[in-house]
Amino acid sequence: MISRGGFSRYRRQVAVWLISLAAGAALCFNALPSAHAENDLSPILKGLTRDDVLRMGEAMYRIGLLPSGEPMQAVVMGDVPVEGTMFTCVSCHLRSGYGSSEGQVRMPPIDGTRLYSPVSKSRRAPLVGRSTGGSEELYRPAYTDETLASVLETGIDPAGRRLNTVMPVYILSERDREIMVYYLKYLSTEPQPGVTETTLHFATVITEDVPGEDRDAMLVPLKNYISNWRLPKSTERGQRSSLYKREGTMKAMRTFTLAVWELKGPRETWREQLEEYYRKEPVFALLGGISTGEWEPIHRFCEDHRIPAVFPITDYPVISETDWYTLYLSKGFSQEGEAAARFLHGREDLSKTPAIIQVIRDEPAGRALSRAFQDTWVSLKHEAPSTVVLKRDEPIPASFWKELAGKNKKPVVLLWLNAGDFPELKLLTKGFKPSVVFASASLLGSRLSTLAESERGYVYVTYPYLLPQVSKGQRTQVGTSLQNDKVLMTRRSTALKMYSLAQTISDPLSKMRTFVSRDYFLELIEAAPDLVAAPATYPRLSFGTGQRYASKGCYIVQLTGGPNPELIKKSEWVIH
Amino acid sequence: MKIRFYHLFLPCFSVALSLFPAPAPAVSQAEYTRTVERYEMPDVTLINQDGKRIKFRELMNSGKPVVVDFIYGTCTTICPVLSAGYTNFQRKRGADAAKVQLVSISIDPEHDGPAIMRKYLKNYRAQPGWDFLTGSREDIDRVMKAFNAYIPNKMFHYPIMFMKAPGDETWVRIYGLIGTADFIKEFEKVVKK
Repeated sequence: MISRGGFSRYRRQVAVWLISLAAGAALCFNALPSAHAENDLSPILKGLTRDDVLRMGEAMYRIGLLPSGEPMQAVVMGDVPVEGTMFTCVSCHLRSGYGSSEGQVRMPPIDGTRLYSPVSKSRRAPLVGRSTGGSEELYRPAYTDETLASVLETGIDPAGRRLNTVMPVYILSERDREIMVYYLKYLSTEPQPGVTETTLHFATVITEDVPGEDRDAMLVPLKNYISNWRLPKSTERGQRSSLYKREGTMKAMRTFTLAVWELKGPRETWREQLEEYYRKEPVFALLGGISTGEWEPIHRFCEDHRIPAVFPITDYPVISETDWYTLYLSKGFSQEGEAAARFLHGREDLSKTPAIIQVIRDEPAGRALSRAFQDTWVSLKHEAPSTVVLKRDEPIPASFWKELAGKNKKPVVLLWLNAGDFPELKLLTKGFKPSVVFASASLLGSRLSTLAESERGYVYVTYPYLLPQVSKGQRTQVGTSLQNDKVLMTRRSTALKMYSLAQTISDPLSKMRTFVSRDYFLELIEAAPDLVAAPATYPRLSFGTGQRYASKGCYIVQLTGGPNPELIKKSEWVIH
Repeated sequence: MKIRFYHLFLPCFSVALSLFPAPAPAVSQAEYTRTVERYEMPDVTLINQDGKRIKFRELMNSGKPVVVDFIYGTCTTICPVLSAGYTNFQRKRGADAAKVQLVSISIDPEHDGPAIMRKYLKNYRAQPGWDFLTGSREDIDRVMKAFNAYIPNKMFHYPIMFMKAPGDETWVRIYGLIGTADFIKEFEKVVKK
């Protein structure tokens, strides 16, 4: 029992301890950049709003352009002048500012949180949330606005140490330097939607046109992946260590959830449905997903909300060199049209053919194939081909081929049509003699091997997958695991794509640890080693900064004779 | 044991990670090592930024001094510094820039086609005499192996550069990133040998 006097003494001790703690906390509290700080612009930036400064800073950071529109100037390696058009901050430190490494060169994180935190000498790690090291010896103190401005100009950090000369020294006016400092101070300090202390929320999008078996083949493996997710044991052990507990990084061990967003009705209403799902449950990223139609509305939604979307299953990805947030397995039909054009361009005997005719139906597949062929063909400095567009359900009478033959002598014909358009898979009728015919393996599907033997000599097929004879061993291995599930076996290609998804995101999800950021997630995927012979579907899946289509090739093949023809490649995987 | 589909994913989880958080800023100064080597050039045909087919062996023996490096168009770390080095080397040589054959070979041949390579060279203000080459992965692998610089994956690459005088059988191999003063010093040693 505590005596009255003892209790008072105890209370006093607790009070003193609490006051000391509060004082210590106040001293140690690091004024970490907050995403919503107001009125903290330098006087030299008078007249600019916070948004103005962040926008200007982003242009400097990402594309190396000063507010004046001129490229930034810097010096690297001590004596090598560089301009912002060559490379800039984002090249090494990436959009998130979380840094990168290549070979033996490691670029440190420069996000606001870590720049404005001191770095421990013993652990070489930022002491996030502290302005001093307390009892710990520091490698460098936390940056301040002044020391950050100074390091950009001199390359000398707050500890007085010169940075590696790989880090450029920037030649900036005082005003531009203040803009850069302000941008860095708030870089990646925004809260990330779909992330809580314990959970990472994902969603997958399915459109109602998708047949049940395809839907299950995408969804079952994805759900298994989410429910069975766990960090590699080494990471778990590390995060249970006292070191990680001190850093408060246990929250890296989050569990995952997967919401299924089903889109119904006309495409024009999809955006509204997506907004509603997102409003109800914000997610960190979209995984997988499937649609038989064009992915554009979902792609646009992700761009607008900056939501990463990894490997949706679609033949109609958006083809863009600048969009950022959706990573596709390939360019779909567009990849085949592009490959046909490049192959033809490389064949001197064929590329000078006066008549190149595309025959398509007025539907997405034909439009995607023909547009990609034409764009690539014209970019290679050829005249645009002629394109015959048939209505969706219009039968093809025999007279059609005669008319086509009558107009052109020995044309190159690209028949971007479905297998159903060719009875017994005879692509052409008698009397029509093109020099060569191109067809799409994705459109002919499983009937490709039934192509009439009389036509195999002059029919070239675009084939955007690993060749069957190469993938046979892998298919057997993977097939063993799939054979217990009838749906997954019948729609194996779809299930395998989800296997590729799992292989692609597992390491990035592990590596994010406490620094969960959408940009960083994408950057880690971009920086991952190539996936060779990706689950028996593609020869190689690879990314790099800004690359958004993982499989980049497409063979041009011909069929051997006999009832079980082999595919003979007539081109490299990638045709330049 | 009954095999479930999710068992396929298990290998993905076995990636061992460092127990330590992200590294602090690197501060050691750049250094490079220089060795003299003999290499046999492969008989392959590559494609340059204009889509032109280039016989690699002939280019290596074109009668000009040659400098070769391995880069890729979307590299974030090493290649920009190597390429800025090429830019400044050409700038320093002024009107004589085209008398030295600078060659960059893509280690991401699936992605780096002529259009991308042209844009890359434009960004680096490349002058005539600097060619960026791509090709089939098999041919690129043969070139990397010929220079004893083979990497199975672009993400594992390292800074390396090679120099040779016309008619010489030997190459100077420079491992590491170098500034322009060292670049010119090494180049002068090669051509004045």
